[in-house]
Amino acid sequence: MDTETQTTRRRARGSSEGADLELTGICKRFAEFIAVDQLDLVVPSGKFFALLGPSGCGKSTTLRMIAGLEAPSEGSISIGGQDVTELPSHKRPVNTVFQSYALFPHMSVLENVAFGLKRKKDREAMPKAKAALEMVELGHLATRKPAQLSGGQQQRVALARALVNRPQVLLLDEPLGALDMKLRRQMQLELKTIQTEVGLTFIHVTHDQEEAMTMADVVAVMNEGRIEQLGPPRELYELPRTAFVANFLGKSNLMRGTVSGQEDQLLSVDVAGNRILLPAARAVATEGEIMVGIRPEKLQISATEDTTAGMNRLDGIVKDASFTGTTTEYLIEVEGIGLIGTFAQNRGQQPGEMGQRVFLSWDPVHTFGLRGSESELAGVEEA
Amino acid sequence: MSSRVLGRRGKKLDLRSAEELRAERRKGRTGQYLVLPGMIGLALFFALPVLVLLAMSLYTKPPGAEIGEFVPALQFSNYAVMLEAYWPVLLRSFWFALIATVLALLIGYPMAYLVAVRLRQHGLLKGILLVLLIAPFFSSFILRTQAWKQILSDEGFIAQTLKAVSLLPADGHLTATPIAVVAGLTYNFLPFMVLPIYANLDRLDTRLLEASGDLYANPVTTFTKVTLPLSASGVFAGTLLTFIPAAGDYINASLLGNNRNTTMIGQVIDSRFFRVIDYPGAAALSFVLMVSILILVIIYIRRFGTRELM
Repeated sequence: MDTETQTTRRRARGSSEGADLELTGICKRFAEFIAVDQLDLVVPSGKFFALLGPSGCGKSTTLRMIAGLEAPSEGSISIGGQDVTELPSHKRPVNTVFQSYALFPHMSVLENVAFGLKRKKDREAMPKAKAALEMVELGHLATRKPAQLSGGQQQRVALARALVNRPQVLLLDEPLGALDMKLRRQMQLELKTIQTEVGLTFIHVTHDQEEAMTMADVVAVMNEGRIEQLGPPRELYELPRTAFVANFLGKSNLMRGTVSGQEDQLLSVDVAGNRILLPAARAVATEGEIMVGIRPEKLQISATEDTTAGMNRLDGIVKDASFTGTTTEYLIEVEGIGLIGTFAQNRGQQPGEMGQRVFLSWDPVHTFGLRGSESELAGVEEA
Repeated sequence: MSSRVLGRRGKKLDLRSAEELRAERRKGRTGQYLVLPGMIGLALFFALPVLVLLAMSLYTKPPGAEIGEFVPALQFSNYAVMLEAYWPVLLRSFWFALIATVLALLIGYPMAYLVAVRLRQHGLLKGILLVLLIAPFFSSFILRTQAWKQILSDEGFIAQTLKAVSLLPADGHLTATPIAVVAGLTYNFLPFMVLPIYANLDRLDTRLLEASGDLYANPVTTFTKVTLPLSASGVFAGTLLTFIPAAGDYINASLLGNNRNTTMIGQVIDSRFFRVIDYPGAAALSFVLMVSILILVIIYIRRFGTRELM
């Protein structure tokens, strides 16, 4: 045995540090339905990792396979260098915070939290469980039964029950789904703080793109059993590589066009007679028919034409303007392209009213290019 | 003005009309009336007979009386005489009932678990097995016990096979043994064990079992720490529903036992009533049986009872 595997083994046996998680060629088939399709994934130790996708995209199944609650049809899973594919769930160094919390109703809150430690024959199970409850600020409710707690409190108990075991990987299966908006925001911040403090590897499954972006270091967007794109939230948002990611993660204006030329790393794209510039490095496809995308907030809307050189420009008629307080959201019909969405901060000026002609402009560096073969509506419904 | 709307203690006055209030009260009373037939039934067919039984247990036989002629008295010695003669039979009855209850639990719990948890996703198979569980009730209790007698008879397949492999001596019997009686009790009362446990396990949230596994509990620990405690009230109801009738049963003892080593208290009561024609003795024994079961059940509830039953 070489030294490297020795250290990974040692780590796998139960230190409190997080560990790398590696999925290789994972497939999961249910009868005729493919839930997860050839998934490869490496989550480095200590990262807050989010699996984001619409319901039915296979993200929960992936999580259940990591937990050992579901066996993959193909592929292997390793944690900290140790292959755990064949290990039953009770032998894996992972813990899960379930969507339903799954607190044991016949035990007190404290007994719930101490459950895992007792199974591991930890002599300090009770003091550790008490400390974990204090951490989630529920020490005073230790003797209550789960049914006597509110949803948010139950959620914290579930979190404490998983965290107290110091698993190498903590799995969170939409744990905030049942909470109301305010509590949810608060728990998001707390979870993030706790993760930074304990330094464990967190895998967070969610369908809420905002939640994934606020909390995670790395986000993997899943769709139909595959990972569409993986990266830090900002990168995914600023430079989506598929139409699904562009639409599911935030909103995008996608326009079809044909590449007409290239100069100085800038592609010229003919979109319904308009010349749109796009950095070649930001395009997945650089020839023929492609899809050009721009995020709504990158657009400038104005009643007069912006004549700055090197800007992308479009003009159209205001079809809808809805006032939302801090901003006004506009839908602008551009001839030959369709509706383009944007918004303007309410700083007193009114760039356009219904039926009026307005001018849109943006810096080409924000433009991104996608494959023309994709549907511009991919991921719109699910978001 | 405001003093009229607010009542004396500052509470809001009930502004509903007297008519509505009467209707409300009538509705409350309707519920009480509905309980009445049951209460009358209980009084007529339970409380009264128990009192008659208690009185009868103290009757005495006047000198020179005919068979079956007894006069009211307070002859407490009836109890002493009966207990002295039959305390071993009483003990045996409880012993047999206890073994049958434990066996029914050991056989019945896995059956209930299979149908309620394992086959939860298999509607058809689950339905068929449930019907099979209840199916014995479609035929008479005595008939089923008679069938057991055939199955365990000396000429039967089981006895022949056991003799062939020398597990049973050539002159051995299966009927007329405690084994046969306990087997009959177990068989006959099994559904009473399975059904309450099934009803309980059917509501078991299997996500809790996953959570237990996720928290390092192996399947055995998951069973003892999660599944069993959560189904405790079903087990509790099942054991009571099995033990109580089994302790007083006499059909199994007469059809499958019928020998000195297998006599149960029900048989003795039966024979004192109908053969010996000793009504006070039979009544005293019935009363003893009733009170001892009550005491055992109370001890059991105190020790293991769930909150719903207390």
